[in-house]
Amino acid sequence: MSEQRHQGVVTFTRREVLEAGAVASFAGVTSSSAADAAAPARQAEHGITQRLSTRINGTAMALEIDARASLLDMLRERLGMMGTKKGCDHGQCGACTVHVDGRRVASCLTLAAKVDGREVTTIEGISDGKTLHPMQQAFIDHDALQCGYCTPGQIMAAIACVREGHASSREQIREYMSGNICRCGAYIGIVNAIEQAARQTERT
Amino acid sequence: MSLERNPDRPRIDAREKVLGKPLFAADREVPGVLHAMTVPAAIAKGEIEAIDIEQAMRVAGVVRIFTYLDFQDIRETPATRGGGGNVPGYQPMKRASVRHRGEPVALVVAETLEAAIEAAEAVKPRYRAAAFSAWHDQAGAEREPLQVDREAGDAPGALAAAARTIDVTYLHPQQHHNPIEMISTTVSFESGRMLVMEGTQNAAAFKFGLAGMLGQDPNMLDASSPYVGGGFGQKNNLQEQTALVARAALLLRRPVKLVMPRSQLFHTATYRPFSSHRIRIGASVQGKLEAVLYDVEQQNSRFDQFEAAHGQHVSRMYATSNWRSTNRRVRVDVQSPGHQRAPHEHPSSYATECAYDELAHALGIDPLQLRLLNDADLDPITGKPFSSRRLVECLRRGAELFDWGRRQHATRSMRTADGQLLGLGVAAGAYKAAVSPALARLRIRADGSTHLSITGQEMGQGMRSVVAAEVINVLNVDPNRLTIDMGETAAAPQHLTAGSWGCASAAPAARAVALRMRERLAELVGIEQANGNVHEALARVRRTSLEVEVAHLGPGQPKTVLDRMSRGLPAAAGPEYERFTAFSWIAHFAEVHVEPTTCRIRVPRVVSVVDCGRVMNHRTATSQVRGGVVWAFGAALREIAEVDPRYGRVLNNDLADYVVPVNADIGDIEVELLDEPDTQLNISGAKGVGEVAMVGATAAIVNAVHHATGKRVRHLPIRIEDLLEASAEGQPYLHESLALAKRLRDQQPAARSEAMLRKLIVGLAAGTPPYDDMSPELAELTRQQLHFLQKDLASLGAVRSVTFKEVSASGMDVYEVEFEKERRIAEVRLRADGRVDAAWINL
Ligand code: FES
Ligand code: FES
Repeated sequence: MSEQRHQGVVTFTRREVLEAGAVASFAGVTSSSAADAAAPARQAEHGITQRLSTRINGTAMALEIDARASLLDMLRERLGMMGTKKGCDHGQCGACTVHVDGRRVASCLTLAAKVDGREVTTIEGISDGKTLHPMQQAFIDHDALQCGYCTPGQIMAAIACVREGHASSREQIREYMSGNICRCGAYIGIVNAIEQAARQTERT
Repeated sequence: MSLERNPDRPRIDAREKVLGKPLFAADREVPGVLHAMTVPAAIAKGEIEAIDIEQAMRVAGVVRIFTYLDFQDIRETPATRGGGGNVPGYQPMKRASVRHRGEPVALVVAETLEAAIEAAEAVKPRYRAAAFSAWHDQAGAEREPLQVDREAGDAPGALAAAARTIDVTYLHPQQHHNPIEMISTTVSFESGRMLVMEGTQNAAAFKFGLAGMLGQDPNMLDASSPYVGGGFGQKNNLQEQTALVARAALLLRRPVKLVMPRSQLFHTATYRPFSSHRIRIGASVQGKLEAVLYDVEQQNSRFDQFEAAHGQHVSRMYATSNWRSTNRRVRVDVQSPGHQRAPHEHPSSYATECAYDELAHALGIDPLQLRLLNDADLDPITGKPFSSRRLVECLRRGAELFDWGRRQHATRSMRTADGQLLGLGVAAGAYKAAVSPALARLRIRADGSTHLSITGQEMGQGMRSVVAAEVINVLNVDPNRLTIDMGETAAAPQHLTAGSWGCASAAPAARAVALRMRERLAELVGIEQANGNVHEALARVRRTSLEVEVAHLGPGQPKTVLDRMSRGLPAAAGPEYERFTAFSWIAHFAEVHVEPTTCRIRVPRVVSVVDCGRVMNHRTATSQVRGGVVWAFGAALREIAEVDPRYGRVLNNDLADYVVPVNADIGDIEVELLDEPDTQLNISGAKGVGEVAMVGATAAIVNAVHHATGKRVRHLPIRIEDLLEASAEGQPYLHESLALAKRLRDQQPAARSEAMLRKLIVGLAAGTPPYDDMSPELAELTRQQLHFLQKDLASLGAVRSVTFKEVSASGMDVYEVEFEKERRIAEVRLRADGRVDAAWINL
């Protein structure tokens, strides 16, 4: 057992904050990604890495990524796609829901390596930002959100819920949406929104 | 100008939110950011003898591991853990000691999150544990002296003289906020300034409080929290990790980000503490309240000042001219509790509104009538009028929407069509209408854009929609090009947004700044043009932009309060003002269904009617009320932190085991907002809604459970086993499930089942079955089949013996019957009322 070295007591002056700022702005990141497509590397990897090619929201990507990384941390910390949220990191809240090959998964419980050769869709990939997905519009219409933190996960789960055929009644929607916690308590709006979007999907 | 009724408008930031665009604290891109992870203390109290970091340092990518040796110069100031504490709070990692379970003892910083997590697990602290007490009933818990918080008249005297009294104690468990956005801290440096990004309801506390802790000039620091992924009071303060991350970033001269794992937040962030509530009520036989004595004990940490006084709103609910409320804190070795949505109002309304229900039941009075009968004209504590009080209207309107008239007084007297026990409950609530100072700066440009910088934090309650409404109501601006900065100390001073004062503070500030703008425009372009399209008006006089600023104060507040506010210190006025007392009011009606065998409780319908002053946005306010009711459901039937006093640990410290309401739990919640402006309080006529929404709703559910089952459960959450136990008190229908469980376990037949079986066989063989001993359904079936049954049974001859074999899973007592000619298996099941509801014989 080794005692940690005594670091001494440090106090900071205004100048030191200024310097810290200057240093930080230079701290660039080198890319270790063997990307054959546009996969912007936000950080260098450490430890054992894993190569993978995947399609994210329709764009082919190749990355060399920490074998321990979850799909969620790949999206957020490597690819800067912040729409997918972390609410527990344990598969208990649904905030990180994305689609892998069209099926909803908790991206925090999915190793990044598992999406090799698969298709991933996130909240950023369901509309072009101008025309909304009918589910997004329905969430606005029914105020199916408050803080908006669980919302991307709710919407991804909701789209899958309709696609699975689990939106035939309010009871069924409630049941099949119960893996996505909304602590703000927007559940009634969420059920209303899914009913609306499911009807629209039926018509088209 | 009279106040306009706000039209139906979507939430202003709903579009961004459905696109996943808002950048919450941990979502900002910070080049070169390092990832941190904390190592939580594995003891509840004691000394740190050593911290072995050797193995952890070998994890590839680790940059540095900090321990208490690095953070000793962080100061504990009155700002520690938020602006509010009366004495310095507690900052972990300053010393070689531990004061509560789970506090950080080391901070690992690494190039990647994965490396930080792996290394944090490899850090090996060695402790010398000390004795501690982690629960209020353990030896070593320190009971502080009793405090009287509110008093009017002579409550003890009036209680002694009252014709009817009740004396009951309700227990409220420890609960945790669990906003879905986990608390995170990111510190970066931009143009030589430190930027702190943390989801908070109090950005100002970060600018000023954190600067104080770090010994920095607040002017070197900005705090940014434009969106908060749910606050509920847990994000009122600086967190235990905030200063650690900031100090680490300074020492490393690199930006650092830490997302606290939820399991650790159960031990580092605030929570609603355990409390017990004794209520003594004296009343006349007609139900007139004559005295209320209300005594609370609430658990606290050893080192913080979270208030235990619960009397604020409950002393104003009814005409209780003889009132006394007291409280005391019980200090144990845990982290500090804090404000959780309706921090005192929810537990106190739960306890008192259930007690009033008990009183009504004991007196044979309708609980709704009891409340109407005791309405208060004046504030019983101060004798002043209320700024507005439409509680009676809330109760009457709610009763109408809910169809309260169908309620039968007796418990266990109503059933659903499918045979479930049906219960209807009512309760009411209030929440102080406080107002905090706020500053608003409005800039209108000729290019068609408008920008508002304002005091206040958006955490989902809809603050952006509220302030936008007032700007749009007053000025003809392009609403699609209106941008709003909130939660940014660089844009405007920020206040602690809590206590439901956000709306009533920001809305009038927004209205005031818009009115000021119109005046300025009128000076510039004339009244007529100022009322028209303001962008065009500016263009016409060749002004690119116009900016005005207004500071808005609560009623009677001095200007000096602005300074307090902008430093993140609580600066709100109310609910007691010079001329009046101000509260928001609410009535809740709940319908519960209790499945008689499993005792599963469902809440298919709640009706809530609210007096929250003028409604600033109908959708966001309705959502707030629904959210409050969802929370009340959680409190009534789901949420409890299971603390193991042997270890000082919350055992269920994640979302799988700390059960919060999910979609399948929630039925219909019908909300009506009275929408009557309270113009005494502020120029927008707005009162708060986010917390009053929850107040009383738990009691409505608990009262409905009592009405359904006859069982008065005086702790939370109510669980199936609480109702199964009810059967022991001789309630026939619920009795069945418990009796069945016992019979199954013991494999013992029901007392009279053999005799009943014999009687059945004899009766059937003779063609005269004992129909009176059967359930109507079985009797009907027997009539249809009697012809065959009689023939077959008669052919077997008389019964020689009956031998019990087992109790089947469906609760049938299985017998072997020896007839003169053959043996047969026969089964019979008796209901709690002694009748046979199922019988079967192998013929
Ligand atoms: S973050 Fe993945 S389920 Fe909660
Ligand atoms: S909108 Fe806040 S958690 Fe769902």
